[in-house]
Amino acid sequence: MILKFKKILSIATFAVGAMSITSVMAHHSTTMFDKDKVSTITGVVKEVQWTNPHVAIFIEGTIKDGDAPTLWLMEMTSPGNLTRGGGWSRNVVKVGDKAVVDFSPLRNGNKGGALKKITLVDTGKFYTADIRAQERANLEETVQK
Amino acid sequence: MNNKFLSVALAMSISFGFLSLAAQAQPSNKPVINPPPTAKDWANLAKLPDWSGVWNPFVTDQDKQAKTNMPPWTPKVNEQIQFQLAEEKAGRPPPLFVDCLPEGMPAWMLITHNAMEVLFTPGRVTMLGESDGNRLRRIYTDGRQHPDDPDPTFHGHSIGKWEGDTLVVDTVGISPQAYIAISEAAGIPNNGDIRVIERIHLVGKDELHDEIEIIAPKVLTKPWKTTRVYFRQRARKFDIVEGVCLEGYFAPRKDKFGNDIFAPIPVDVGGNRIPPQ
Repeated sequence: MILKFKKILSIATFAVGAMSITSVMAHHSTTMFDKDKVSTITGVVKEVQWTNPHVAIFIEGTIKDGDAPTLWLMEMTSPGNLTRGGGWSRNVVKVGDKAVVDFSPLRNGNKGGALKKITLVDTGKFYTADIRAQERANLEETVQK
Repeated sequence: MNNKFLSVALAMSISFGFLSLAAQAQPSNKPVINPPPTAKDWANLAKLPDWSGVWNPFVTDQDKQAKTNMPPWTPKVNEQIQFQLAEEKAGRPPPLFVDCLPEGMPAWMLITHNAMEVLFTPGRVTMLGESDGNRLRRIYTDGRQHPDDPDPTFHGHSIGKWEGDTLVVDTVGISPQAYIAISEAAGIPNNGDIRVIERIHLVGKDELHDEIEIIAPKVLTKPWKTTRVYFRQRARKFDIVEGVCLEGYFAPRKDKFGNDIFAPIPVDVGGNRIPPQ
């Protein structure tokens, strides 16, 4: 009984810990990210939130060689826009994937950014997240297969 | 005798007066019924232009117009807009649309980043937005007029008529709180008495243009005109998907019993997910 309680407690603690790395985002401008800068993080995908209105990927990795790995939040546009503009689907990036992410960092120095491109190390496949990449008709004729 | 006659006449006239007042209080007409569509009504839809498919917005042009086609704001409103633009430029974008209330009219048409689809049924054109389950416009094309005093709503009361292949839409009854926005970070509540007139039509095969005129005397010195452009997609993989804005306020988690739940997550006043600390 006590063991069971401890197990529940540990799960609950994990859930709270996992929750603390997430928050909310609705329809807003993206100038909190510095579009003039591009940083690159290499690491492992820890969580994918394929949710509206903005998809997020959490990646643990390093920006400079020799740094200790840290957890970063990468923001994107909506599932529908990623599908049309970047050839995404829900499962193209999965927890555990090794990845390299190019991103525009938050201006305030926190560990977050606007994802520009994610490249999967094992396959070399890459996906971009530019909402403006869908600004023409009949995208299927040109979008990444 | 005369007095009696007079008093009877007076009583009768008062009674008739009340009767006629009572008659006036009754509805003068039967309730207006929306008739069931006929086979001809359905067949007539085939004569309308083809707006099928998914329409995604020309965001780059929205951005451009925020610089080149500024609404004629009143001086007082212009001060607020200029402050918002400066804040956005400084990396502190004002959080206009971070509460998941509908963007409403006319902001939806002006600054959306998300696709929509348009449905024709007898007597109605319906616009359905992708992100937000609450983006929905009902445009009545059955010849009705606006109600005398419509309840204010985010999308207002819209009536439309076809002029050739152009749908002309007139919208009133918009909530005063609904924004006139030029970007996701710059805009002002219309503050009441707004009217929106749109001419929506195809340009070429796969572009939909919404020529918008906004009359908003509380915040604009004169009517403002702008055209917003949408691109057509037909690939099935680009079909509209469900997009519930409030989903962003939750994360998929397990409860203590192992059930799949949406767990609420803290709200950042600026509308951001909080990065790892």
